[in-house]
Amino acid sequence: MALLDIKGIDVSYGKSLTVKNCSIALDPAKICSVVGESGSGKTTVIRAVLGLLPGGGSVTAGDIVYENRSLLKLSKGEWRSLRGRDISMIFQDSGAMMNQTRLIGKSFVEYIRTHESISKQDAWKKGAEMLGRMRLPDPDRIMNSYPFQLSGGMRQRVGIAMGMTYQPRLLLADEPTSALDVTTQAQIVRQMMELRDEYGTSIIIVTHDIGVAAYMADHVVVMKDGRIEDQGERGYILNDSTNAYTRKLIKAVPSLGGKRYV
Amino acid sequence: MFDEKDLLLEARHVTRRFSTPSGRELVACNDVNLKLYRGKTLGLVGESGCGKSTFMRFLVWLDRPTEGEILYRGKDITKLKGRQLHDMRQHIQMVFQDPSTSFNPKMKIRDIVCEPLLNYGRIRHSQRDEKARELLEMVELPGDFADRYPHNMSGGQRQRVAIARALALEPEIVVMDEATSALDVSVQETVIELITRLQREKNITIGFICHNLGFIQSFSHQIAVMYLGNIVEVMPGDQLSSLCCHPYSKALLNAVFDTKMDFSRKIEPIKGEPPSPLDVPVGCPFQDRCDQCMPICRERRPVLTEISPGHEVACHRYGEGVSA
Repeated sequence: MALLDIKGIDVSYGKSLTVKNCSIALDPAKICSVVGESGSGKTTVIRAVLGLLPGGGSVTAGDIVYENRSLLKLSKGEWRSLRGRDISMIFQDSGAMMNQTRLIGKSFVEYIRTHESISKQDAWKKGAEMLGRMRLPDPDRIMNSYPFQLSGGMRQRVGIAMGMTYQPRLLLADEPTSALDVTTQAQIVRQMMELRDEYGTSIIIVTHDIGVAAYMADHVVVMKDGRIEDQGERGYILNDSTNAYTRKLIKAVPSLGGKRYV
Repeated sequence: MFDEKDLLLEARHVTRRFSTPSGRELVACNDVNLKLYRGKTLGLVGESGCGKSTFMRFLVWLDRPTEGEILYRGKDITKLKGRQLHDMRQHIQMVFQDPSTSFNPKMKIRDIVCEPLLNYGRIRHSQRDEKARELLEMVELPGDFADRYPHNMSGGQRQRVAIARALALEPEIVVMDEATSALDVSVQETVIELITRLQREKNITIGFICHNLGFIQSFSHQIAVMYLGNIVEVMPGDQLSSLCCHPYSKALLNAVFDTKMDFSRKIEPIKGEPPSPLDVPVGCPFQDRCDQCMPICRERRPVLTEISPGHEVACHRYGEGVSA
């Protein structure tokens, strides 16, 4: 029984059809990577899942089913109880999604109090505890910082901690490591893998870094020009797929001890 | 390893200090010694804020070091001024990271690639069309692109134009600051193929900044790893995985994801983040994140020592540090 079933959706912005006939099924505690070049529509797909398409964008055909419920027919109230609780999202730069003029602690408290009726003090404590659980050093200092005072990697981990507060069943990650250094990227990737292992969270990660996608995923989806070009188990995509575009993409990934140009 | 007579540019004890409003001092480059050889690529790797761009900017006079000298053709280029500087600039050119912000959006591609040539009086105004076509064809773009504006092109095409502009003056050295980081992998591959082909044809020396060790090793002759303003390891590019021994270089190497890796291997990222460059610890800059830290690492800063031809390491575990 799939946790999330995207059934042949089309997404349009105004009159232009951006994503065509896209189907992805995700089982509980699995990780799915969506790879493709910029403009291939990969971000649009996961934004559609969370109902966060930018203005003018809408799902014009197909259906998105989450735990036997169609996500396309939810009311605003139903969305509110689902988003951030059952389904969370991590953005490319978690610092940018937070209010720059508010303490991280304040944003965190607001987030917790949206989903749970507890006092501000308790919410603050819960937030700090969550940061600690995500192995961020010195949670109190982070709660008392502004987003711009933290490094990019740190902000990203705060974003993950926020997204994981209610142990969502499904985590959507939109290029979570693209803006980070390789060493920080390794930390974030490891942290996301641990979420799956410890909490059984299913993850859809959208990335253009095929190395990261391959390391994390059970299932890989290759997108091109708004269509799914190829999808399958990781081993199949990496080694056995006969799709010309997939082959080209995999071949282009620089690898240690691989092809040298000089 | 490299022939000393091919030595083209040498940085000696280059240090750059910035003073902060609070009166403290930030050392962005600390005693950097690097050599660029004719027709070879030097890859400079490190995390953001480690000073790699600061160093490369000295070569193109976007900044000047506080101490030290950079010798090119036997002359210290950091002290140049006026006419001499103007003349020297045509020998060292740069390609920037983001091709969409390094062009004037109101200029046509023809004017962009021909501007350096007109500046130095190499061509006449009437020759622009012909020259632009020639330069665009050199970077495998259709000559008709000369009439386009930068926003009419894809990222990869724009980066090709940036390369054409940098090579228009036929410089001896080209500095590339993360020149392919903004591109998709398949585009990145074609751009790197182009760069290495042009390097072979024109015998250009390249200084390439990158943070991905896996990528940079595929086209560098020499790789320097930088951490917090210090060069910690310099090695030949083709033997990276076998030679690399500094704990920081190893950590960078471990953090590379590629499609041929063993997926069951648990990645062991280095802990924490680099300390603020405002308070670099006494001794080895990497001490707090190193899992092989020894007492001496907290007291004395290791110096770059040659342990085999072309391979230098600044670590107390290797070279001089071991015998001391």
